[in-house]
Amino acid sequence: MTVSVGERRPLRNPKVLLRQEGEQGIAIDPDTESVHVMNATAVAIWVLCDGRTVPSEMVTAICDLSKLPWDVVEEDVQSILRQFEETSLITWEDST
Amino acid sequence: MADPSVKVLLADGHSLFREAMRVVLEAQEDLSVVAEASDGMQALAEARVNEPDVALIDLQLPNSDGLRTTASLADSQPSCRTLVLSDDDDEELLVLALEAGASGFISKSSPIHELLSATRRVHSGETVVPPQMLGGLLGRLISRRRERDHALRLLARLTSREREVLASLARGADNAGIARALVISPETARTHVQNVLHKLELHSRLEAAAFVMQSDLLDELEEARV
Repeated sequence: MTVSVGERRPLRNPKVLLRQEGEQGIAIDPDTESVHVMNATAVAIWVLCDGRTVPSEMVTAICDLSKLPWDVVEEDVQSILRQFEETSLITWEDST
Repeated sequence: MADPSVKVLLADGHSLFREAMRVVLEAQEDLSVVAEASDGMQALAEARVNEPDVALIDLQLPNSDGLRTTASLADSQPSCRTLVLSDDDDEELLVLALEAGASGFISKSSPIHELLSATRRVHSGETVVPPQMLGGLLGRLISRRRERDHALRLLARLTSREREVLASLARGADNAGIARALVISPETARTHVQNVLHKLELHSRLEAAAFVMQSDLLDELEEARV
């Protein structure tokens, strides 16, 4: 699929530190002194929040790899990004 | 009654490792080792005879390495799913293994319970990737897709004749060869080549061939000819 024009791009909060512990990731936000435990998929999405990658690209890549249906993966990715946003782990960059 | 256990082929160059693995796998009620191989050629031969459900293939196999063996297995035994065992958590090797047809990739330094779990998951149809490598792998997949999308946009600039010329260039043809294949004069072939290079923003025939191969466009060009 092609990237939608105007789709926003998630960007990791640069102050948040991620530590990998086996299949889990532990994100530590020093500003809020909060700790967030992530599963493997959430960690992978966190890695992809580089301010250049749009959610639809994440969904496509996960679909290619897992062979799961688009709508299932899209829902998961959106849900994870929403949680990241609500906990200030990411901000959103507008497409230029 | 048919045996319900998952039939496993074990391919590794080190007999001690194979023997240890066999003991562990055979201790599982749902797994049985139907064949062992110490090199790639033997792995392919054993797979033909024993028709395993899952092949555990070491990347460093002697005599046809693990990647080639995986690709050959995918061709000759499509029902057999392959779990590649690697000494390193190397993202490039992971990508190459998946492209060769592997269904999973696991480090040989993983705990044994992870290997058993990966074997079962691969058999059940999952693609198994070490969690710590998943983000990097997805990043590479996204980069490749971007490059391919860019290449396809450039390709759309070409006429169907120019696409035929590009396909010939990718196969190493010179102007005379292109002219013969397309039944045109060498001068016309030369003009087409110049137009192709200009439209693709390339500077040489070699770059044109690399453009096609790196973006995996040869099938695309061949299909357009049919």
